[in-house]
Amino acid sequence: MILLDTREFDHPIPLEMAVDAFKKLSGDEVIHMIHRREPIPLFEIIVKNGGRFRSIKIEENLWHIYITRSKTLDLEGIDV
Amino acid sequence: MYNGLSLDQAPPISVVMRFFITVPFFGILLSALLFFYPDTVLIPNHPFSLASIHLMFLGVITMAMLGALFQMQSVLGGRPIPAPAGNAFLIHLFLLLGIIALTLAFTLLYPPLFIVAAVFLGSSILYGVKLILPLLFNGTSHDTLQGMKIALFALSLTALLGIVMATEYANEAFGTMHEMLRTIHYSLGLIGWIAVLIIAVAFQVVEMFYVTPSYSPWCKRNAFNIIAGALGFKTLWLVEGLPFVWVFDAIIGALLMGFIATTLKRLLKRKRRVSDVSIWFWLLGMGLLFLSLGLYGTYVASGSELFQTMALIAYVLFALSIILGMMGKIIPFLIWFHLNSAGYMDTPIMSNIITYSRAKALFVLFTLTVFFTLFGVIYNDLLRLGAMMGIAMFGLLLYNIISALKMYRYTLHHGMRFEQM
Repeated sequence: MILLDTREFDHPIPLEMAVDAFKKLSGDEVIHMIHRREPIPLFEIIVKNGGRFRSIKIEENLWHIYITRSKTLDLEGIDV
Repeated sequence: MYNGLSLDQAPPISVVMRFFITVPFFGILLSALLFFYPDTVLIPNHPFSLASIHLMFLGVITMAMLGALFQMQSVLGGRPIPAPAGNAFLIHLFLLLGIIALTLAFTLLYPPLFIVAAVFLGSSILYGVKLILPLLFNGTSHDTLQGMKIALFALSLTALLGIVMATEYANEAFGTMHEMLRTIHYSLGLIGWIAVLIIAVAFQVVEMFYVTPSYSPWCKRNAFNIIAGALGFKTLWLVEGLPFVWVFDAIIGALLMGFIATTLKRLLKRKRRVSDVSIWFWLLGMGLLFLSLGLYGTYVASGSELFQTMALIAYVLFALSIILGMMGKIIPFLIWFHLNSAGYMDTPIMSNIITYSRAKALFVLFTLTVFFTLFGVIYNDLLRLGAMMGIAMFGLLLYNIISALKMYRYTLHHGMRFEQM
């Protein structure tokens, strides 16, 4: 699991960090992104490039996002 | 998996960029008008003055804000704009032709051109509003969406009143209500359209872009209702010819003062104090809005048209400051986003699309434009200098946009994609 805590970074640095990490993903690797918002444009980039994601709102201004390029990995099974 | 919007809804990059790339051309045209006619553009209600105001209001501010709305609606509105490329092409083309016709109508004083301008501008704005406004009523409760709705409604009323006045200019016959219509027209345009949309954008982007504390829920919930109410009553008061219209201006002024204070407080309390030119534009914009309100108050108290002119110039420069700051963020983001969505591995990072040095140069040129233009109202010779700075500033903006688009095209043709790995 690659942890990416982007809560303190100005927009759009979190998106650049996440996409950069996504490009380097291999196999069953997962990015665990912690962010203060739901990064809508990021999801579009992930999906259009064959990735998958799971986005969970923990509370106002706290989102956990899991991203993988694996076709088979069960993102729903990850403990939040 | 995703609670809210469907994916794949961002409009093609051309939709937003066609509006943005037109902005500097009208900015240069406006600056040229100031340069060649520095005396006449300052005479209130002189045709050259009206041409300048409309070049700024429509050619620069509305052009940029409509382009940004196409993007914002897609992200925030929940429902994508149908056929965005075709609709943006039509709206942009008609707006472009309308602004050119209106500028020529005022500068050449050729009455039939007012009708041409009214047809093109009316079609563009009313069609644009008809296209976007219904998409905002999707049951989603969002303060920024509420602001966007009011702003678009105010824009459509501004356009309708503009059409009425254009027919008066075309017939060279002004009714007894002309002055009243004019006051409502500019109140709705300057406050209902420009201020409301900027406040709506601020509610969305200030805390998101700069990691600041949130605006208070009370502020978000009530700001637009207060402005809409004050504008509505001001219009009613003007139509009925009732006294104390200034009370509504005072209410709006107090609210804008509150907006300045709360925005500055947030920008100065941001968590990460990284140097970002767009923040300088926000800070300068807030300063200009404060100056504009102060000058307008002085005009009301003294009756001196000099202060009214300076208040108007400071106000449009406030809007321009926010627009330039936001364009500096949006353009690199769009280039980066669309290239990454298309799977390009070697997409340039955003800070390389418009470099820090060029963003800083734009801010310096803008600050000089502000200084010389405002003081040019008092010392007329300085206005030419302000116009020259304006030409340089809009020229650099054009260069920034073109070089960003070149980078986009280069990566499209030469970049490596995921599937090529």
